[in-house]
Amino acid sequence: MSRVYLPLILLFLLVMQGAMIELIPARFDELGWLIVIHSVFLFLVLFTMFYDLENTYYALFFAILFGFLIDAVYTNILGVYMFSYAISIYFVHGMRKLLHANFYVASLLAFVGVGLVDFLLYLIYYATDVTQMHMTDYLMNRMIPTMVVNLIIFLIFYALFKRKLVKWSKERFDEKRSTN
Amino acid sequence: MSFFRRKRLFSILLGLIILVGLIGFSLRDRDQLSSVEEFFHDAVGWAQQIVLAPVNYTTRLVQNINNLSNLYDENQVLKENLAQYQQTLYEVKELRNENDELMALLDKTESITDYTPIQATVTARSPEQWFKQVTIDKGKQDGIQPDMAVITAEGMIGKVQSASQFTSSVLLLNGFDRSNRIAVNVNLTDGDQDARGFILGYNEERDQLVLEFTEYYDDMVEGEPVFSSGLGGVFPKGLEIGTIEEVTTDQYGLTQIAYVSPSANLSDLNHVIVVDRGLPTINDNDEVEEE
Repeated sequence: MSRVYLPLILLFLLVMQGAMIELIPARFDELGWLIVIHSVFLFLVLFTMFYDLENTYYALFFAILFGFLIDAVYTNILGVYMFSYAISIYFVHGMRKLLHANFYVASLLAFVGVGLVDFLLYLIYYATDVTQMHMTDYLMNRMIPTMVVNLIIFLIFYALFKRKLVKWSKERFDEKRSTN
Repeated sequence: MSFFRRKRLFSILLGLIILVGLIGFSLRDRDQLSSVEEFFHDAVGWAQQIVLAPVNYTTRLVQNINNLSNLYDENQVLKENLAQYQQTLYEVKELRNENDELMALLDKTESITDYTPIQATVTARSPEQWFKQVTIDKGKQDGIQPDMAVITAEGMIGKVQSASQFTSSVLLLNGFDRSNRIAVNVNLTDGDQDARGFILGYNEERDQLVLEFTEYYDDMVEGEPVFSSGLGGVFPKGLEIGTIEEVTTDQYGLTQIAYVSPSANLSDLNHVIVVDRGLPTINDNDEVEEE
């Protein structure tokens, strides 16, 4: 069943991103903070950590697919989210091989991963002149608040999805092994 | 899948090439979305209309409750205004009749102020805050074309950036830059002529639009409303854009510029009207010439 559920959850999160801006309190906006909620990416981090095996790359595939969808639906420049999500998920997947997949490692990788995604987005958008924000402004007003808010959301996602993902992973990959 | 592992460097380089190619493809000056993009727009747009309906309903409910607190004061002010409007309404009716008669006399039926309104609802906003973009639930099938102006009851909020079959994305005024100018008029207190100028873009630090005048007007005052003039060939005449907050000169001191604060609230959008100009626009003329 996980083959159906996982894309559906990702699609739901993608659709929900359209309302995320309404959920951020207006006070942050007055402070000049730009907060971007990367909920699809946070789920993909969990996906890599607890669903994928060391030699499977399903999360990377979904990162490319849903990155492309975000580009097409919410921005008008293709490829930017696709590339940033793919590189960052690949990085998380690589780190997972070195570290144990537990709660602390997952939170740390989500924190660092969101920072990496957002920084790549900034670099590409700065190069294509979508934003003229300077590096120091970006770090203070966007990157740090975004990383903190996304970490909080990651903790909620962890509580919601971690067990399900481990269960689905076992169902899927253990069956394969036993049939082989 | 082992492909990724073995040829890591190769894959990353390939990814970079695809990235540059896609960015180049999308930054190109294109009028239409590719059919793949249109399909995703519509598919996700439908899902948004279903999933986000309860979310939007709740946020609106919260806003309404917040608004309740100053309902009484607002009501008093509105009642006063209403009494004054009766007089204006009568005058407008008279003028409209007179205008129709005069137009009939001249055999002139179309005007630059005419437009057909298309009602639409905002379904989603771009989570990427650098793109000032919202999605509305009407598309080409409802007669929406790129570059149409989008307004609310308070004033202009932006223009249609790209239209798919059933949804479209709207670029808000605070995302405007030099490539999408608006030709505007400002009423001068004395003199028959209006002051003419262009909206050049949005100043992020001041949160105001930048208006550049074509001439130097000495008697320009703050607080005057700014309207579209329709001379840019895309929008109809007479859409309210904002009010002048400050009149100054540009950084070289050569041209007169003004900062304009938009009259519509750009952060809290719900029901919008897409404006289909009655007269042919520049874009229509292009198509005719091509044919």
